[in-house]
Amino acid sequence: MVKRLIILLTLVLLAVVFSDLLLNYIESPVLSPLGNYYAANGPAELGAANLVTSVIVTYRGLDTLGEVTVLFISAAAVGLLLGRREADTDVAEPRKPASEIVQTAAQLLMPLVFLFGIYVFINGHLTPGGGFQGGAIIASGVMLLLLAQPHAAISRSLIGITESLSGFSYVLVGVLGVILAGGFLDNRIMGLGQFGSLFSAGAIPIIYILIGLKVGAELGSVLDRFRSSGPGEP
Amino acid sequence: MLELLGSVIVLVGSVFLFSAGLGVLRMPDSYNRIQTGTKASTLGTILVLLGLAVLHPAWAWKLLMLIFFVLLTNPVSSHALARAAHAIRVGEADSTVIDRLEESETRERTEGRN
Repeated sequence: MVKRLIILLTLVLLAVVFSDLLLNYIESPVLSPLGNYYAANGPAELGAANLVTSVIVTYRGLDTLGEVTVLFISAAAVGLLLGRREADTDVAEPRKPASEIVQTAAQLLMPLVFLFGIYVFINGHLTPGGGFQGGAIIASGVMLLLLAQPHAAISRSLIGITESLSGFSYVLVGVLGVILAGGFLDNRIMGLGQFGSLFSAGAIPIIYILIGLKVGAELGSVLDRFRSSGPGEP
Repeated sequence: MLELLGSVIVLVGSVFLFSAGLGVLRMPDSYNRIQTGTKASTLGTILVLLGLAVLHPAWAWKLLMLIFFVLLTNPVSSHALARAAHAIRVGEADSTVIDRLEESETRERTEGRN
């Protein structure tokens, strides 16, 4: 009873807070000066057909590096916390194998899921999506693999090497921006190419490929950690 | 004419999607909810995509690809969910009388013992 009352009270309070936001929200008819600058000069300056990407990867590139770092630290913390428990439950109880339907579908779908993830982060500077989304899609492919084969061997050293190398190269590309172009993470270290084509927008596709690999490896390793330290059969 | 046809197909699809939502609310146990949520929403999604293909013939191939993926993924994920629910002994409604998965597992267990 008390619990229900608290839930109800919370809901009412949330409604009050959000109704205030909703009723007093006035959409600004003009872009803010900063947004206006991005919209007016972004395509010509950086050569990316997807304006959002040029803001995320170049204008606000340092923030993105911070986000990647946050994700890295979370993945490392998960590894630290769940890796210890693994020693206790080393001999896991045998699990029920996945059904034939799931196994067959996983065989068929996994390459397609990986392909789609790679497509999403390679085309990040042209179409919606990018490194984080592509990486998450790749991790969902790993999830599918773990669903179909709970005991599948995933090479942790391969994941570690992929992750470290892509993170290191990301920072390296950023430093190259300081040396060859206008500043840290400046994408104009190489030619901007034809606007709207696959090989365009300077270093943006390279950075997004690196972010995609890194995010995919990190989320994949988190999923792998949860698998190997799970309690097995309930 | 084509526009009317496409709109009608989309409308029929959304009726199925609505019934899927209604089924999730009204059905008595998890398995029945999974069942309505899958069958009706798969058909509803396919019909909506087909209607869009009629409305925009230029998108037809992409929409057909989408239909293929919906057909491939939606039933498989529901199947995995239902099996997982069965594995952790999520209760059935009282009106459920046949549980073939339980039967086959019991059979396997007894055969394994012999």
